[in-house]
Amino acid sequence: MNLYKYASPINFYPLAGKLIPWFAIPSALLFAVGLFMGFFIAPSDFQQGDAYRIIFIHVPAAWLGMFLYVLMAIYAGVGWAFNARLASMMASSISITGAMFTFLSLVSGAFWGKPTWGTWWVWDARMTSTLILLFLYIGFISLQSSIDDARRADRAGAVLALVGVINVPIIYFSVQWWNTLHQGATIRILQKPTIHGSMLWSMLIMLAACWLYSVAVVLVRLRCTILEREQNAARFAEATV
Amino acid sequence: MNWPDLNMGGYGFYIWGSYIFALLAIVWELVTLSYRKKVAREQEKLAPKVISRKANETTS
Amino acid sequence: MLRWIVWRDLMLAWRRRADALSTLFFFVIVVSLFPLGIGPEAELLRSVAPGVVWVAALLASMLSLGRLFANDYQDGTLEQIMMTPQPLYLIVLGKVAAQWLTSELPLVCIAPLLGVQFGLSNKTVGVLLITLLLGTPVLSLIGSIGAALTLGLRSSSVLISILVLPLYIPILIFGAGAVEAEIIGMTAASHIYLLGAVFVLALIFAPWATAAALKISVE
Repeated sequence: MNLYKYASPINFYPLAGKLIPWFAIPSALLFAVGLFMGFFIAPSDFQQGDAYRIIFIHVPAAWLGMFLYVLMAIYAGVGWAFNARLASMMASSISITGAMFTFLSLVSGAFWGKPTWGTWWVWDARMTSTLILLFLYIGFISLQSSIDDARRADRAGAVLALVGVINVPIIYFSVQWWNTLHQGATIRILQKPTIHGSMLWSMLIMLAACWLYSVAVVLVRLRCTILEREQNAARFAEATV
Repeated sequence: MNWPDLNMGGYGFYIWGSYIFALLAIVWELVTLSYRKKVAREQEKLAPKVISRKANETTS
Repeated sequence: MLRWIVWRDLMLAWRRRADALSTLFFFVIVVSLFPLGIGPEAELLRSVAPGVVWVAALLASMLSLGRLFANDYQDGTLEQIMMTPQPLYLIVLGKVAAQWLTSELPLVCIAPLLGVQFGLSNKTVGVLLITLLLGTPVLSLIGSIGAALTLGLRSSSVLISILVLPLYIPILIFGAGAVEAEIIGMTAASHIYLLGAVFVLALIFAPWATAAALKISVE
């Protein structure tokens, strides 16, 4: 079976359509199971009471925000190096979902911080790095949306995403450095709660649910992108036949 | 299995707040995506139906 | 070739002295605005001085980046230069060097005066100079990537800022952190070494990324 034909957007379009339910439905199921376990089965935490239950959405969102950025950079790089349009379209589709999850992790982190630390926002290393990651996403999305030519947008985004991905360790290190030097004595960084079995499982199930959701949503967005972009190509091909 | 109290021991606002926000974010994403899909579909109807036709071909 | 590009850009910048000088004035004005906004209390100003001077340097360098490639791109010279058999890496390095000499070096030179405005000691001003001397080339180098990516786009100046400012953050942290460490009485050496490391990395890799971005933008 020749798999390479799926590198063409037009051929990948129906395959994506068939794949979407296989990710969307398990995602919905896992969300239900995860939330049920998180709220009904996992017990109250010794230190934080019930406030810790936010981690079931905060940790998956943060993890996915970071993972999707790396994935986006890889797809953009592949699209640039091999001149593969579909890979670049994939990178563009991932960017919005990744930005959404990063923003969600910042908001849920703030909601977690208020009852436990006392303030909505605190400049600790992780929150600050996540904020910078959100800026990197916004830069990528802004750049691509302000370039009209699709191929130039793809390649420019690839350069930016790769420069960003290389910078992420440097940024994280420098923010940690900055934070440890400036850490006030009044703010104690929260220790992760000792993970009870059911808590850990709930978090992992929610993580899987969010990941499957991302795949489904990215595939839908990819199909929209293919439709939008291939319009002109199809019209041209029809005309020359 | 323990039934959690809706107040969550006083933290109710924060927990429900963050989950409602998550729900809103997901709903926003799905709604904008379905709108975009609708627009793309209508555009495709105007263009010659090469994409859906080519996609249905079974030769490789 | 490198020398020729640097010389050419310097000559062009000399003919438009106002551009480079306006960047300098912007820097001075922005730094002077902060005491007006925060209040004249000497201790407070001394503690915020490193951050303020560095952020103003970041913003001023953003302004000058738009000019890096745009003028040559508009009259077609950039395409001609790119068609020569000379490696694009060296051409980019030359242009960035010229831009640093015209736009950033004046900032470094005027920084001691601003240090006096904020009541910094001589030793602190010295550290400020060293960090700016090491840091501003990195600003130019990384900024050139943003300038190349946004060549010819509408509202490119704002876009450059959005793209490049997150990447500037490590330089800001190390640079301002060095001066702050000096003020508190701790050693600034570790910050300066890190800044030097970032400088070397940027010097090697940034022109390559900028060259790639130029090839993408000029097609």
